[in-house]
Amino acid sequence: MVRMAEFAASQHPGDVLVSLGLGSCIGVALLEDSHRVAALAHVVLPNSGDAPAVDNAAKFADTAVPLLVNEVIRLGVARSRIWAVMVGGAQMFALGGATLDIGRRNDASVKRALDSARIPVRATVTGGTVGRTVRVYVGQGRVTCKEAGGPELDVITSERMGLARAA
Amino acid sequence: MQLTDMQLDALREMANVGSGNAATALAGMLGCPVDLSVPSAAVLALADAVEAVGSPDAEVTAVALPVFGEIEAIVLLTFKPEHARQLCGFLGIEYDADPEMALSALGEIGNILGSAYINALGAMCGMALEPSPPQTATDMLGAIVASVLASAAASNDMTLLLDSALMLEQGGECEFGFLFVPNENGVAEVLGRLGLWGHEAA
Repeated sequence: MVRMAEFAASQHPGDVLVSLGLGSCIGVALLEDSHRVAALAHVVLPNSGDAPAVDNAAKFADTAVPLLVNEVIRLGVARSRIWAVMVGGAQMFALGGATLDIGRRNDASVKRALDSARIPVRATVTGGTVGRTVRVYVGQGRVTCKEAGGPELDVITSERMGLARAA
Repeated sequence: MQLTDMQLDALREMANVGSGNAATALAGMLGCPVDLSVPSAAVLALADAVEAVGSPDAEVTAVALPVFGEIEAIVLLTFKPEHARQLCGFLGIEYDADPEMALSALGEIGNILGSAYINALGAMCGMALEPSPPQTATDMLGAIVASVLASAAASNDMTLLLDSALMLEQGGECEFGFLFVPNENGVAEVLGRLGLWGHEAA
């Protein structure tokens, strides 16, 4: 379970990394070609520079992405083999003011951070006005997304990517 | 953000007065008695805060009421879908026949309750507070609560939750959660007005 402003990385096949009920938050999943390692961060806000102090790197898009990339590399994956999937970034309420569309800003900020880390984004389910649950199946190269009351749908699978499933 | 027991007690009492005022407003509107739970006040890590409110993947109908003025905050009402239906029934609106009307009615209930809450709060603390128009959504509780917390959570990994529940006594079970989420400056401002912030709190 990856809750608000938390992250997890795993190399145990059968592990499922889950963030339940992403609204304006973004679940950033990092996977890699051999499907051995996967990681997930539950990003809450776009920019650590907006906060007077960063007490939790996983909370902000710009600090969570490097943190997550380093975790995956630490588990023995070459940077060039890592790719990303993004889920979330919805606008649950049109609240206006300072809270203006955090979802969209999160989306843009995560993309920018992945771009500067040279990590390609292979699939996204972001934006709109619906909450989503993301599941990352370690060892399978599979990411799913479920909206409220809806079925669990594949965002990406190893077959659809035309990649060999890890032994 | 770390708060002392005395500060939390003061905030809890404030939530009690605010939600008491909201319960009275609702009872007047519906013409039936409304019960009030003892509010809880807690400072929680973001990761724990959503689960303190409820199961993150449970479906809820929510009304969010942004508050501006001398502090910024969001008042959030959450209803289980069946309780939202029941509450609409009290107002003579059939939820499934006209969901748009039903959501609008729930928004209006949120408006009245939220305004009653912040009026009591404003009077207690001597602050001018202004509610903005209510927004409604039906979705996963996690998505809704996390999005509200995110808008208040910029500066700190801890968040203050003031949580109460209102219950209608008639017509079977109908209760809903009432959440007041000030931004961090808002917490300091409220406690300051009560003489419980900074050196005054010592």
